Amino acid sequence: MRILISGFGTVGQGFAEVLASRRAFFEKRYGKEVKIVCVMDSNTYVCDQNGLDPIELVETKQTNKKVGTQKYTDSIQIMDSVDYDLLVEVSPTNVKTGGIGLINITHALECKKDVITVNKGPLALNFDKLITLAKKNKCKLRFEGSVGGAMPIINLCHENLIGENIRSIRGIFNGTCNFILSKMDNGQPFEQALKEAQQMGYAETDPTNDVEGFDSACKVVILANSVFGRNVTFSNVDITGISSVTSEAISLAASHNMVIRLIGEVSDTKLEVSPRLIPKGHPLSITGTLNAAQIVSDLAGPITISGRGAGRLETASAMLSDLISIMDDRE
Amino acid sequence: MMVNAELYVKDLPGQLVGSLEPISLVDGNIVGVVHNREQMVNQRICVNVTFQINGAAELDKLKSIWKSRDVLISRIGSVFKTQTMEYMLVGSFTAAYVDHLIDEASNVISFESVDVSYSSKNSTSTRTAMISAEVLTEEDLAKLDKFFAAACREGGIVYIRGL
Repeated sequence: MRILISGFGTVGQGFAEVLASRRAFFEKRYGKEVKIVCVMDSNTYVCDQNGLDPIELVETKQTNKKVGTQKYTDSIQIMDSVDYDLLVEVSPTNVKTGGIGLINITHALECKKDVITVNKGPLALNFDKLITLAKKNKCKLRFEGSVGGAMPIINLCHENLIGENIRSIRGIFNGTCNFILSKMDNGQPFEQALKEAQQMGYAETDPTNDVEGFDSACKVVILANSVFGRNVTFSNVDITGISSVTSEAISLAASHNMVIRLIGEVSDTKLEVSPRLIPKGHPLSITGTLNAAQIVSDLAGPITISGRGAGRLETASAMLSDLISIMDDRE
Repeated sequence: MMVNAELYVKDLPGQLVGSLEPISLVDGNIVGVVHNREQMVNQRICVNVTFQINGAAELDKLKSIWKSRDVLISRIGSVFKTQTMEYMLVGSFTAAYVDHLIDEASNVISFESVDVSYSSKNSTSTRTAMISAEVLTEEDLAKLDKFFAAACREGGIVYIRGL
């Protein structure tokens, strides 16, 4: 299996480290090596058809702040110059246009290559087009890590719950918002909780995507399209963020034994991200940066899962499950 | 529909089963039974049963089976499971506005009960109200959700509802 990695930030590096740590597993399970043959970061690239050492790649990136010595401007040109079987697309999310991720994924699928991505932008904007392209060219497009990080929600619905009619999914899909709301439960005002989230590296300098619910909305779109078979995009989501949730609201909720959490809700008819009142003790009343989801299906009833929604190795864990699934299918 | 019936059966072996079996015969589902031996009238024992049944036709059929088996019906009526939902409003409004909103909502659906509480702090221009509403059906709840969502959007009020 020859892999081309597009994007070599935290998630890309985590995936490379996981490949290195699971080398023996792949050899035992498939009797073959999983090789990284090319890596592109935002400006530079490095390719070697004989395989690149994942740990050296990470060290180079961390030391030099770039993965290769050669610069590029056209990622398609690099992709076309390499023999690879699978594109791992982990470049930064762009929810307005899909960014370079959309271009790379589309090109790989057109070239009949399998794709693993955690890039929410292309999936939230062009899910139907990408899935149709993958089906047409008989290749795989997998994206477990795009929703809930290490929390295995998409594959759970597609594989373990395949025979069920899934009625709804409600969940906490943004760890940053959950961290802020958990801090507000303890009496901190919104601005202070946000600042703490930024200091701890959970929130970005511009927290708009998180606190206004845009990040959760992307995940809700991915679930709606992939689990419910809907054909919706980001613009179809009814979004309310948490920036208008006041300390008073948190206190009043607490006096009724409730907390406020940012909940994404998907069903055949609903597509919504909004702050909701959750009874204390309910599975969705969790605190901290965790993600959680409650899937309601006709036979199993409610199933609740939770896990770390982001992080270097946590997201790589979801990508590893996608890689194994693709390799199993190829066997 | 959910039905509660108070029956009187003869104080003889097999009479209790004989009064409950017809519910299954009309595809009903028994939710609860109270066999009250202390409540006797004319040598008959009181049986209070709550069950789900598909509709009025099945209920009529059930009544005629009970009659044919000498089971007396002393009282029968529908029971309802109510739906509750909490709505929190955050914004610039008065208590009178919330009262008006609830009055408007009661034109759309009928409340079983409604309760409003407000945050104690009122030092800022924003105010927070929590409305706990109890209605009869999920359809009423959906209507109420829509009503509050639309009203709050129009009034520039942040609206947070329960699960």
